[in-house]
Amino acid sequence: MAMIEQFLKIAWQTALLWLVYRCGAYLVAVLHLALPGNVAGMLLMFALLASGIVKPVLIDAGAGFLLKHFAFFFIPISVGLMAFGPLMRQSGLTLLAILVVSAAVGVLVTGVSVQVLHGRSSR
Amino acid sequence: MKLLVFAACVLGTVGAYLVTRKIFLRYKYPLLNPVFLSTLVIIAALKASGVTLADYQPAKEVMTFLLGPATVALALPLYNNRGVLKKHSLPVFAGVVAGCLSTIAAVLIAGRVAGLARGVLLSLGPKSVTVPIAVEISRLAGGEPTLTAAFVVATGMIGSILGPMLLSGLKVNNPVARGLALGTVSHGQGTAVALLEGETAGAMGGVAMAIAAVFTALIAPYYLPLFLP
Repeated sequence: MAMIEQFLKIAWQTALLWLVYRCGAYLVAVLHLALPGNVAGMLLMFALLASGIVKPVLIDAGAGFLLKHFAFFFIPISVGLMAFGPLMRQSGLTLLAILVVSAAVGVLVTGVSVQVLHGRSSR
Repeated sequence: MKLLVFAACVLGTVGAYLVTRKIFLRYKYPLLNPVFLSTLVIIAALKASGVTLADYQPAKEVMTFLLGPATVALALPLYNNRGVLKKHSLPVFAGVVAGCLSTIAAVLIAGRVAGLARGVLLSLGPKSVTVPIAVEISRLAGGEPTLTAAFVVATGMIGSILGPMLLSGLKVNNPVARGLALGTVSHGQGTAVALLEGETAGAMGGVAMAIAAVFTALIAPYYLPLFLP
């Protein structure tokens, strides 16, 4: 019984999050914003929480479930890399090396600068 | 038959995810990243069974349907961590902006050294931001959107495996710094790994992803040409 209740709670809270996502997508389309609909929806949801219009308990079960399995959504998307087999065979190693270098540079710059600045502003 | 393939694709993907997630949570080793392992297994299974990417497409549509609401859900950890954001707004913004500028410069410089064509370089430029934005930036700049989408996904995978290793190697153990670095370089996939590390890191991944997307879209028309022939 408790399990069914929890399932229904997650389901309807997910529907609510979906609604906010659609509102975000709609705002982007109408206002011609340089944002994807999902990021606009996230900012909108944050505004709803920060202003107290939506209480965290109203979405916490659904949000907790979706975020716990956030990585899942990227699996079907990554399978799409399959289409680039010919390009990968031709210049895959070069592209891989370039992407590795630039990812390393970005992670290093952000990670180290935030750790240093954050440490300083905490003191 | 179509229904059978669809069901097999969904069940196979969910199954691969559940197993690789267990493995990752048990060993916590970055190379065991569930997205990476599952993708390898699924591509191998598709190749072996002769199922094409077009056959997999309907299953993909259904399985990614909740990515939109899941991204919206990131607002909750963000809200729970609003104190961090308020108190450290300068390091947060400065760190993400510096990360965006440096990762774009690095990819374009390395690409030029490797002698890549202008069209490929333009497609590489926005590879660190979330797919819908990256594709738009690429199209506007004169790149190839499909190629950009592939680079975005590849970068997501690379950053979510290499990022945690590099950060640990450099003793960057502050969850704020780790989340921001992963979200800046590897958008949603980096955020997914940050969420597995903890709520604060996950929230920061979401923040970084949002700032990086907006900032990169704003500067791309002026910044990318600086590094092009």
